[in-house]
Amino acid sequence: MLYLSQAIGRPVRDLHGEPIGTVADLIVAIGDRYPPVTGIVVKTNGREIFLLWGSVTSLDAGGATLGTSAIDISKFQQRPNEIRLKQDLMDRQIVDIDGRKVVRVNDLRLDEVEGSLHLVAVDVGPSGLLRRLGIEGPWRTLAHGLHRDVPERYIDWEDVDPVERTIASVKLRVPHKGLAELHPADLATIIDQLSRSDRVGVIAALDDEAAADAIGEMEPETQVDILEDLEPARAADILEEMDPDEAADLVADLSNESRVEILGLMEKDEAEEVQELMTYGEETAGGIMTTEFVAVPATLTAAQTIDRLRELEPTAETIYYVYVTDAENCLVGVLSLRDLIVAKPNTVISKFMYDEPVAVRTDASQNEVTGVVARYNLLAVPVVDADGHLEGIVTVDDAIDTLLPQPSKRRLARLFGRSGPAER
Amino acid sequence: MKKPALSLTPRAVNRVRLAAILGVLGPGLVSGFADNDAGGISTYSVAGSKFGYDLLWVLLASQIVLFFTQEVGARLGLATGQGLAGLVRERYGVRWATFMICTMLIANVGSIIAEFAGCGAALSLFNIPDWIAALLAGTVVILLLTRGSYGKVQYLFVAVGLAVSIAYLISAVLAHPNWGLAASSLVIPRLSSSAAYWVAVVATVGTTITPWGQAFIQSYVADKRLGPEDLVGERLDVGLGALLTNLIGAFIVVACAAAVYSAGIQVDTNSPDAVQQIAGALTPLAGSGATVLFAIGLLAASFLGLGVVPLTSAYAACEAFGWETGVDWRWREAPAFYGLMIFFVVFAGLFVLVFPKDSLVQLMLTAQMINCILLPFVLVFVMRLSADKKLMGPLVSGRFLLAIGWLGTALLVVLSLTLVATSFISV
Repeated sequence: MLYLSQAIGRPVRDLHGEPIGTVADLIVAIGDRYPPVTGIVVKTNGREIFLLWGSVTSLDAGGATLGTSAIDISKFQQRPNEIRLKQDLMDRQIVDIDGRKVVRVNDLRLDEVEGSLHLVAVDVGPSGLLRRLGIEGPWRTLAHGLHRDVPERYIDWEDVDPVERTIASVKLRVPHKGLAELHPADLATIIDQLSRSDRVGVIAALDDEAAADAIGEMEPETQVDILEDLEPARAADILEEMDPDEAADLVADLSNESRVEILGLMEKDEAEEVQELMTYGEETAGGIMTTEFVAVPATLTAAQTIDRLRELEPTAETIYYVYVTDAENCLVGVLSLRDLIVAKPNTVISKFMYDEPVAVRTDASQNEVTGVVARYNLLAVPVVDADGHLEGIVTVDDAIDTLLPQPSKRRLARLFGRSGPAER
Repeated sequence: MKKPALSLTPRAVNRVRLAAILGVLGPGLVSGFADNDAGGISTYSVAGSKFGYDLLWVLLASQIVLFFTQEVGARLGLATGQGLAGLVRERYGVRWATFMICTMLIANVGSIIAEFAGCGAALSLFNIPDWIAALLAGTVVILLLTRGSYGKVQYLFVAVGLAVSIAYLISAVLAHPNWGLAASSLVIPRLSSSAAYWVAVVATVGTTITPWGQAFIQSYVADKRLGPEDLVGERLDVGLGALLTNLIGAFIVVACAAAVYSAGIQVDTNSPDAVQQIAGALTPLAGSGATVLFAIGLLAASFLGLGVVPLTSAYAACEAFGWETGVDWRWREAPAFYGLMIFFVVFAGLFVLVFPKDSLVQLMLTAQMINCILLPFVLVFVMRLSADKKLMGPLVSGRFLLAIGWLGTALLVVLSLTLVATSFISV
């Protein structure tokens, strides 16, 4: 086991034990679970030379020994997946995926794994800080005298995601694989802790759907910031992946120029849907409804309806109810997924549909919607206009959002955090 | 959570634009107001009482330097999204960062003691004993910092800052000063060869440009998630902040010059009660209203400092050492942040309660010395960071700003060293 801080500045000796310089940095190839050390940067006569790891026979807290006497000073080519530990990671911020927060690197821990040296963990604890300050020993003695422990805290490299800016110097596209596997709500929490440019970097590395899910979980003001910082075309792609009701809320918050530009870049259908949703008052059923729902004509059979569902592949929150409409698109009935499955395949759905469906008007208040959802134990309630045309549905998760206290009253978390437009 | 769906009317658009500009405003304003804390006000009032209008030019000069140092700090925040402590750690290593933070924290304890003393001095004019004043101020500040939502806290800080400005504007008017002389003194330096004069010059500059002020503006800008596109708004904000700081300082100097210096009243400026004496001395000429306003201004300014300094301290420490940087910081999630913040207030408060006033003055002077030693380091870090093209991108300091920045830094280094040297000689 070796800490990077113990090796840095130590002498580098050649085959004959002659000192030729000091250890300036180590290079690892990231991508593997535990990145192997692939090179060493030696400081000699005021300049830095790079040596391949193959020429190093040993490295420990006493320094490095080379297996050659002749140094090949050919120009070092940093490969795209390589980073310098001291320059690119030490003291930088990283994402602790397991703990879901951004922390600072105090030291890096290297271990022999299968005969070669690998980066295995990041030291983020007090002991690492003390080691860097050169007072770990005395402190431990003191703590021991007081019968206290010096807390140690490591994060396995596997649970680490370097923050974008950290390694911007090597122009490496961080895969952010670890982040992409997080629950969107956790991802949103982490992204919220990052600086603006890092946020955009993380979002850029996610696919549209993952980005849309994560953005959907963020505070409205953060959503706006991120969308306006992204390439407009990418922002449009991400908006298309979001639930239309969420997208509409978000688009409404954008600055005028961004709104026009991004809407223009979205698919025509999706953009129209969003624009339509934006016309409803924020506190009404129309304002919180989504236009993603399944509606079929009353003349279909159960089997045909199930086929239709397969074709449409509706999202989880909208699959439980199938709405039945007439030729004018007026709501005439509703079927549950259960009704469909237990019915004989060739029964016409009008025979077994519930033909007095509960619905709310687009201008119904949020409280009214929540009341209806609660009273009838619905997973979603259809929303109709004054003439009974089916316009959308409010799903139970959007309905209960209105019952929760507004998240706006945040604690004095950051220095002052955001203000101004965010507190509209 | 849900927002007004359509805000497309021209009026709404204007409102949004205005909100966007107002949204940028804040860091520079609060930072400027906070620079005129208890230490600032006592320095200015001593300067006015002792040297009349003579030191007004120093105020103007130090505000110009303040504008440029704050501008660089704000620009660093805009470009990197990081606070100063974090950047220093990344660029210059953990030892420099630890040195900077530890030194700053020690000096800040001194500043917080000064804020408490300021609250006490102001309230003693209303016959409230010191210990009640300290308990009251400490409790209110802790409640505010731990329970208050940050939007409200910011508005409160700006409101308090404005209250200070108005209080001193009116006190100055009430004192019937010689406005013509004041205006000319602002731009024409009246030099003196007396040592006391130069100590006052250094003190005036030192109370305006502080290490914590430099850390504060950058963290605040970064935390507000402002970006390069906010540069113009942020410069405006910083300019406005520096201007208001200057005006407040000038009004205090003017009020004291007219009511104390010109009236020939002698104030023992070395006494721990100097500010009270000066405030009381306003009454004969400017009326008791001026004294009350002066006290209210001092109370508000001390309170502002009492809020901002512990906050900056806790923040800088957490940032440099990577302690919790959560969104919804609550007690359980951010024990280090809240713990540090409260520790500073309580620790300094205890000092005020336990130690006699004379020793407190000594402590505050020591804190000011530590600040003076630290300031050159901080400014050199800031200037070097701001000249780093890789770090700053398009916001990198140009030749003009660099020249001015280094000139200002050099001046401040000389002043700081002077103060440190004179303190050692006087000891």
